[in-house]
Amino acid sequence: MSLAPPGIEVVDLQRTFKSLRAVDGISFAIEPGEIFGFLGPNGAGKSTTVLMLTTLLPPTGGRATVAGFDVASQGPDVRRHIGAALQEAALDPLLTGREHLRLQASLQGLGKPARDTRSAELLERVGLTEAADRRVGGYSGGMKRRLDLALALVHEPTILFLDEPTTGLDPQSRADLWEEVSRLAREQGVTVFLTTQYLEEADQLADRIAIISKGRIVAEGTPDALKGEIGRPSLEVVPAVAADRDRLAAVLGEFGAPTAGPPGAAAVRLEAGADGLAQVVRRLDAEGIALQTFDLHAPTLDDVYLAKTGERLTEAADDGAPVAGAAG
Amino acid sequence: MSEFFSTARAVAWRSLHITFTNPALLAPALIFPLMFYVAFAGGLSSVGNLPGFDYPAGYDTFQFGFVLLQASAFGGVFSGFGIAADFERGFARRYMLAAPRREAIIVGYLLGGLSRAAITTSLLTVVALATGMRPQSSPAEIAALIVLVAFVCSAAMLFACGVAMRLKTVQAGPAMQMPVFLVLFLAPVFVPLDLVAGWVHGVATVNPVTALMNGVRDLLAGTGFDAVLVFGTAIALAGGFALWALRGLRSAERTGS
Repeated sequence: MSLAPPGIEVVDLQRTFKSLRAVDGISFAIEPGEIFGFLGPNGAGKSTTVLMLTTLLPPTGGRATVAGFDVASQGPDVRRHIGAALQEAALDPLLTGREHLRLQASLQGLGKPARDTRSAELLERVGLTEAADRRVGGYSGGMKRRLDLALALVHEPTILFLDEPTTGLDPQSRADLWEEVSRLAREQGVTVFLTTQYLEEADQLADRIAIISKGRIVAEGTPDALKGEIGRPSLEVVPAVAADRDRLAAVLGEFGAPTAGPPGAAAVRLEAGADGLAQVVRRLDAEGIALQTFDLHAPTLDDVYLAKTGERLTEAADDGAPVAGAAG
Repeated sequence: MSEFFSTARAVAWRSLHITFTNPALLAPALIFPLMFYVAFAGGLSSVGNLPGFDYPAGYDTFQFGFVLLQASAFGGVFSGFGIAADFERGFARRYMLAAPRREAIIVGYLLGGLSRAAITTSLLTVVALATGMRPQSSPAEIAALIVLVAFVCSAAMLFACGVAMRLKTVQAGPAMQMPVFLVLFLAPVFVPLDLVAGWVHGVATVNPVTALMNGVRDLLAGTGFDAVLVFGTAIALAGGFALWALRGLRSAERTGS
């Protein structure tokens, strides 16, 4: 058992906006050096949770400690230990990248020599050295995200909050950012609290994941453990003739519980797992149903989300709406 | 403590850097007080010949007193516009997140506002002197005048800061500007209080800005001034609005920045 205090400890945390409970009594603990993924659609309460943990919004109930300090009563101590790159990068289009870094270093109380050294080091690390003296108004979305990450790291925080850090990034920028986040946790022992609505991101980056839906945590564990809970693979079949869909669904229903599938498909969670596949094929052949596609899927985090909430994360993300000025 | 001042210095630096590297922001701040001075002192100079106008340093100096006060007060209000813009565009969130002691953010904005006002009022003074304004102040009175103007700028800035931190939108501009505009113009702007008539005289008599304006003019004329009344008023206004700004900061913290 580790003697170090947990990086983040949250107990029954709540935030209410008038009659709306954006965060409804969530609890979890994050160990130092861990990458913790907070997965959920827009409007689920992710960003509201981040705002509370970073002392930007007071909780209306419950308790949370970050780096061992209470977010409600020890805000200055919390802020000395954390860095955060929030959903909308707070950048001034009239300042250059280097000026941003120097400003941030001064805000955090770093002296001039440390300011200059650290700025140059971080610009190099996020690949912005060449653009360092250009105004941020001319940066691309990816460059702004990278600068925002560099700003969050200026004072070498022990805990880093990343609120949907790759939203709007191209695949290469996304991969670069994932690599940097992994490196921070692996080599420097930084605790990372990462909110995302991207399943792949949570799956690849996070040591542990909490799934949040409508302000409540509905599942928590390692990605493998969560997928293991679902256990059985799903089978998605599209008939060659659309009119056969109901008949197809009835046949598949003999092999497992129906589940959501793509448009035009019938889908089931196979009771017998992949071992029952041959039987399914024989049965469909016997019924004379011609098939267009026949896909077997290992469980994904989306399946976990579906199993826990009754809807697909991708669909929920489309329906989600920002909550009282605090999206996510 | 060094952490506190480092934060305040950073906020002030940005505020000044943005202003002085952008002519579009700098020019109005410099030009408007000059235009007011030229319009009021030049265009209304014959007011100085009215019977009962007994200001010893002349009408240019009399008007300079008003424009100096107005430039410092509006310098403070314009700082409030910047604060509101920072909240609206999300940049204030960086300050709120980075600053261990958030009171330093207000101090930083205040230092930025005071520095800008110092430059504006210095330019105004140079132009006024070059165009015939002849103050009769002693060095001590000039020092007192500078301190008084700094208090006025601080009071206006802290008032605007409190509004900006509560409303967090640049649309709050009129809510910052109008009250300052009204109290300034409901003081004896164009003639001494004795020559002001009707309801305006009644309002001007109880308007605290009248004491400040008379103080500035007395210091410019070198005729002595009621230090307790003038500086008491200035300190009370700055202190009161400092509390107002602090409560604005707490409001921003409560509602999320």
